[in-house]
Amino acid sequence: MIPPVLDVRGLGISFGGLKAVDDVSFSVERHRITTIIGPNGAGKSTLFNLISGALTPRNGKVMIDGVEMTRGSAEQKKAAGLSRSFQITNLFFELTVAENLRLAAQLLEPPTHAFLPIRRSRRAMEKTERMLERFRLAHRRDELAGNLSHGDQRRLEIAVCLASEPKLLLLDEPTQGMSHADTQDTAALVRGLTEDVTVLLIEHDIGLVMNLSDHVVVMHQGRKLAEGPPKVVRSDPVVQAAYFGHH
Amino acid sequence: MLDRLAISMRASHVLAILLLAAALCLAALGAALDDSFYLRLGTEALIFAGLALSVDLLLGYSGALSLGQALYFGIGAYVSALTLMTVPSFWLAMAAAGLATLVAATIGGLIANRVRGVYFALITFGMAQVVAKVVYNTRELGASDGMIGIPVVQIQFGPFAISAGNPVGFFLIVLAIIMGLYGLSAYLLETPFGRVLTALKANERRVPFLGYSVWRARMAVYVFAGLVAGLSGALYPVLRGFVSPELMFFATSGNAVISVILGGVGTLIGAIYGAVLLVILKSIIGSWTEHHLIVIGLLFMLCVMFLPKGLVGFSRPWIERRIVRVPSQEVTASAVSPAIAKSRSAS
Repeated sequence: MIPPVLDVRGLGISFGGLKAVDDVSFSVERHRITTIIGPNGAGKSTLFNLISGALTPRNGKVMIDGVEMTRGSAEQKKAAGLSRSFQITNLFFELTVAENLRLAAQLLEPPTHAFLPIRRSRRAMEKTERMLERFRLAHRRDELAGNLSHGDQRRLEIAVCLASEPKLLLLDEPTQGMSHADTQDTAALVRGLTEDVTVLLIEHDIGLVMNLSDHVVVMHQGRKLAEGPPKVVRSDPVVQAAYFGHH
Repeated sequence: MLDRLAISMRASHVLAILLLAAALCLAALGAALDDSFYLRLGTEALIFAGLALSVDLLLGYSGALSLGQALYFGIGAYVSALTLMTVPSFWLAMAAAGLATLVAATIGGLIANRVRGVYFALITFGMAQVVAKVVYNTRELGASDGMIGIPVVQIQFGPFAISAGNPVGFFLIVLAIIMGLYGLSAYLLETPFGRVLTALKANERRVPFLGYSVWRARMAVYVFAGLVAGLSGALYPVLRGFVSPELMFFATSGNAVISVILGGVGTLIGAIYGAVLLVILKSIIGSWTEHHLIVIGLLFMLCVMFLPKGLVGFSRPWIERRIVRVPSQEVTASAVSPAIAKSRSAS
């Protein structure tokens, strides 16, 4: 049997006395969109940090593609095929749009190209061009990333994550701060990604979550409250009480 | 494909060629007028330019301010001096100095790269001070007097030889070595490795999530910068015939940082212009007044206030615009279009 792309078992960490993430288990199936929802402070971003290597878990396991990577650093997890975005836009603002993408795509090249002139890294350059077109950023390629509009920056961030051809993409609120039109746009874009990659999302827009997700994991106060297909989760009385009840 | 960074580097190369031309003029003039004072001053300026280059590699590209880069300059100088006093071979002295600074910079890098920012500056400062004090108190290394009596060597090029005592000949050799180090640094910065360094400076915390090891990149550039400083330092005793612990003191490191800021941080060639300017200024002002540091301090303050990007940072955009206007259209078209065409036909 092929293992899931991501398998999280009993994951936990505390800060001081607070259990920010407590005994969370779930797995992410290939070429699906799995979404983590939950109120503010539920531990969603901390969970992302534990999975992506930004934080080291106290308890539990993180398996990527069947390989245990619990204590792996961010770059080791990247090498295993995991790519992530950030809740607060995290780009190289002083570098151009194309250079942001090229840096990410460089990972497709063999390490021996690291000390050869950049133009020898053809795959990375081709990938950059394709990502610029696919994410409609080609006309801004030489603009500094810091000068882009918020929506363009969020799109660039997804493109950067995707440029290294990961197996698993973790997107932390990709539509945060976007206009309605941009949100719909991004949703369509994320939907289109599942051909090449598996997506794990954190998202606040419930309408979007229900439309987009194949599988939903609900978190509340650091713990997993429920999981399942969107419709089932939505009608779950426990979830309604804890989460939807507040709205 | 010419992107922003590549265009900036080309603009630096234009300024490098200007500098080279000016240096060759000085050499020709010096040879014609049988001058040795200005040629030796120029040689010294170029040697300190190598040290400034090393500071700019760290500060301008990986964003790490070293306040103790003179450590490697001094180690290079001492190892070169010791080698020359045992075996009078220029190339052997350079090789020994290079090897010694590689080892020293690896050790220093392991210590300094555990921290960032201000702490990195303080640790590099501290390491240089500690080693300088050790040298200052070691009688075998001449203690506070340093070592004098380093022989004037013949520098071999296959069948030819140039005496290090020949002002024009040695000036040209130092010019070639420093410009070679500049070229090598510029080359490295235009590789994927170099671009990871610029990424470090722009947003270090994002770099691991792109799959690059921050520590490895920082170590690599630190060791390389140490090597550049060490090879430059190795030239010093050949020129002056002595070494002293002052070469490792903060004044030397600090002057290199001032040179980089005067010339323009992150421009590479700016470091060389800055160092040349500083050595010339010191010599000219020093001949009027012994309080030349006051004048240099004032100039430095004026530069920071009115030319925050330094001389090269100020003038380079003008050159960049000219580069963009002329060849980039064709270059971009020829380098990028086939790549897109290929990727399209493949998919």
